[in-house]
Amino acid sequence: MPDPVVHVAELTKIYKVPEREAGLRQAAKALFRRKTRDVRAVETISFDVGAGEVVGFLGPNGAGKTTSLKMLAGLLYPTSGTALVLGHVPSKRERDYLRQMTMVMGNRNQLQWDIPALDSYELNRAIYRLRREDYVAMRDELIELLDVGDLVRKPVRNLSLGERMKVEIVGALLHRPQVLFLDEPTIGLDVTMQKRIRTFIAEYNQRQGATVLLTSHYMADVEALCERVIVIHHGRILFDGALASLADEFAAYKTIGVVLQNGGAPLDGYGEVVHHQGDRVSLRVPKAETSRVAARLLADHEVLDLTIEEPPIEDVIESVFTQPAAL
Amino acid sequence: MSVDVARLPEAGRWRSLFDFYVTTMRTAIASQLQYRVTNYFYMLGMIAEPVVYLVVWTTIADQEGGSVNGITSGEFAAYYIVWTLVRNMNIVFGAPFWEYRIREGRLAGDLLKPMYILHYDLAYFAGWKFVVVAMWLPIAFGLSAVFHPTLDPTALEIVVFIFAIWGAYLVRSMFQGTIGMLNFWTTRGAAVFDLYIAVEMLLSGRLVPLQLMPGWVQTLANFLPFKWTFGFPIESLVGNLSTEQLLLGLCAQALWIGIGLVLFKIAWSSAIKRFVSVGN
Amino acid sequence: MNALRVSWLFLKIGVINELQYRVNFFVQLLQSLIQVGTALIMLALVYSHTTELNGWSESELLSLIGVQVLLGGFIHTFIQPNMQRLMEDVQQGTLDYALTKPEDSQLLISVRMVQIWQVVEIASGLILLSVGLSGVQQSIGVVDAIAFGIALLIGGVLVYCFWLVITTGAFWIVRMENVLELFEGIYQTGRWPVTVYPGWLRYSVTFLVPIGFAVTVPAEALTSRLQWPTLVFAFVFGAAVFAFTRWFWHYGLRHYSGASA
Repeated sequence: MPDPVVHVAELTKIYKVPEREAGLRQAAKALFRRKTRDVRAVETISFDVGAGEVVGFLGPNGAGKTTSLKMLAGLLYPTSGTALVLGHVPSKRERDYLRQMTMVMGNRNQLQWDIPALDSYELNRAIYRLRREDYVAMRDELIELLDVGDLVRKPVRNLSLGERMKVEIVGALLHRPQVLFLDEPTIGLDVTMQKRIRTFIAEYNQRQGATVLLTSHYMADVEALCERVIVIHHGRILFDGALASLADEFAAYKTIGVVLQNGGAPLDGYGEVVHHQGDRVSLRVPKAETSRVAARLLADHEVLDLTIEEPPIEDVIESVFTQPAAL
Repeated sequence: MSVDVARLPEAGRWRSLFDFYVTTMRTAIASQLQYRVTNYFYMLGMIAEPVVYLVVWTTIADQEGGSVNGITSGEFAAYYIVWTLVRNMNIVFGAPFWEYRIREGRLAGDLLKPMYILHYDLAYFAGWKFVVVAMWLPIAFGLSAVFHPTLDPTALEIVVFIFAIWGAYLVRSMFQGTIGMLNFWTTRGAAVFDLYIAVEMLLSGRLVPLQLMPGWVQTLANFLPFKWTFGFPIESLVGNLSTEQLLLGLCAQALWIGIGLVLFKIAWSSAIKRFVSVGN
Repeated sequence: MNALRVSWLFLKIGVINELQYRVNFFVQLLQSLIQVGTALIMLALVYSHTTELNGWSESELLSLIGVQVLLGGFIHTFIQPNMQRLMEDVQQGTLDYALTKPEDSQLLISVRMVQIWQVVEIASGLILLSVGLSGVQQSIGVVDAIAFGIALLIGGVLVYCFWLVITTGAFWIVRMENVLELFEGIYQTGRWPVTVYPGWLRYSVTFLVPIGFAVTVPAEALTSRLQWPTLVFAFVFGAAVFAFTRWFWHYGLRHYSGASA
């Protein structure tokens, strides 16, 4: 088995946050001796990512997703533990490493605001020391893939949020990075634009064989792109595996949908009625009892239709995140 | 550990750096040309300062029979008009810009790229100078028409002046950049910056030509960086410095650029350590 | 009066807000010391080469500088923060929040912000002024003091009007960041009596940009230079400028509403 592209072992980040107390005397004291409090943003997380994998980081706000990505991108120095990307220690910020990775932050803008993106791209060419022919080939390919031929000629400040993200992504990929860290790349975009970005990321991953780590609030992003997800909560990894098995592991309930001949019959005795419209009734049933309840329904009533469904992935995630910190 | 990835070949280092400077400067010119009004505001506000000094000293010179400490009204006019150009060259990526860069979260983006931070700022502001100087020309003509400067530089003085204003730009870039690193530790560095500017005012020839200062101040100024960012470039064109003094001045600038660069590098490396451990 | 009540409430909120940041007091103190120190050194330099500048002795000029610092402190405390906020609001399109309130728009945008720690500057201006006046030969009568108060008030109004007219320009020119540098630069001209400036500049800093006017007239009152006609003229001039400013603000507002509709 080849070496992993990203290797993380026991990685921990603890922030020291100054504690401020009210009062003039306290403020004056704080000038000399600062009281601090530890915030454990990421605690002893470990995982490996192989070449070409697309991995989604899931977690509520403040779970430690962005902190993890920033440590991998060399923007944050870990408190302890190991992080290796492409064999480099990110926090050393070696040129050789920086040339092979990129990070896109959904709410940040890295292009020059007042000039067309095309001119900013030229800057990146020089910064990354690209040969002109490589640069032009890559630029034109990306522009075509994202269909931004017109947009790159307008000053960035005149672009809409979604358009800006597209030209931003082109700029971030000109040096053909092998590792992509995408922090909320679709935040604030409308559904069509989210879809467009998603397709593009998949396409880039296919074409370049690049490794992608992404965080997103939108489950749709993760469902479309990531076969593997890492769920982080309170700085710890709760789950690392295939998206499909996430439901198996965490969902406590399944949903049984039935259509009865006698639509009016009360079904409260079988499970929690979550939905009742006309003849169609949805019941929430503990996972272990699903088959027993289904059998009872079939025996007791004249059933026209019966389905057993996994709960939607959002609900599963939500149930994971409502778990308390100490696990 | 070996990872097999397709890596793009690199273009030459110096070629790329040159390329970067040219492209950034072009970018700066293109962006700043869009902001002529705001650039003029800045410049007019800045011009007020030397005009006030000029008027005051001209008044005194006239009162005192034509000159103060041997400087005539015309020479004062020349000094402060050249001052305006030097001041324009002296605007660098300093403390307020560092504050902006950190506050707006722009630093992370710059850190992700394989380029030393100083290059961005030197290149961008160098490009901006071309816009500023173009906009300065009509102001200079206007001031000359009103205040009648006495100015007859030699060819050597002009050449030295051209080097000296860029030298001043670099010296001030290094020191202001170093001071700017304070922003990584505190959001209330303003008083320190003000103190720096005040010392610079007095010891650089920005407030008054150093000739008007007491002797010990003049001596002190020779051994500090400030003079080489204002007084020296101005006097290289306006004053009567000998060839030796002119060349010595350029050497002093080179020395201070070197010292400033070392200071900047030390400050930057501890600033970056702080940045990556605190995160922003 | 509702306008006064609104202003008072905003002031109270602003002060409570600023009191959280007490370190700013020390920062401001240090900045004021630096500012005053530089001014004094310049003054000493000038008077080491002459005994009087255009008929102003060192003590008299010190009083003038005191007035300039005092008025500057007033501007930094009450006027400038509001104008900067206004500019940001226009840029970011958040002015609508202020415009939808049932109160006079000009009043509202003029009293929203206060940077209370800048009063340190007002205090240092007062100190300079009293030190300067103690060195002036003739004593100051009650009439002089009243004239000074009126002249200072007119000066404040003039500066406020100037700032608001410039800021209203933001309705047309969206990017105005450097207007602050422009104003600070021009305000430095007030540190010297307007009479030192050559004709064209004197008229500019008197009428076009009324800084010299705002500072020199009150200082003249204290140094018994002021003539009553000047004060009457200042009053009429101030009223006219205020009326123009009010008209211009509403004109700009109409333009703004038209453009964003």
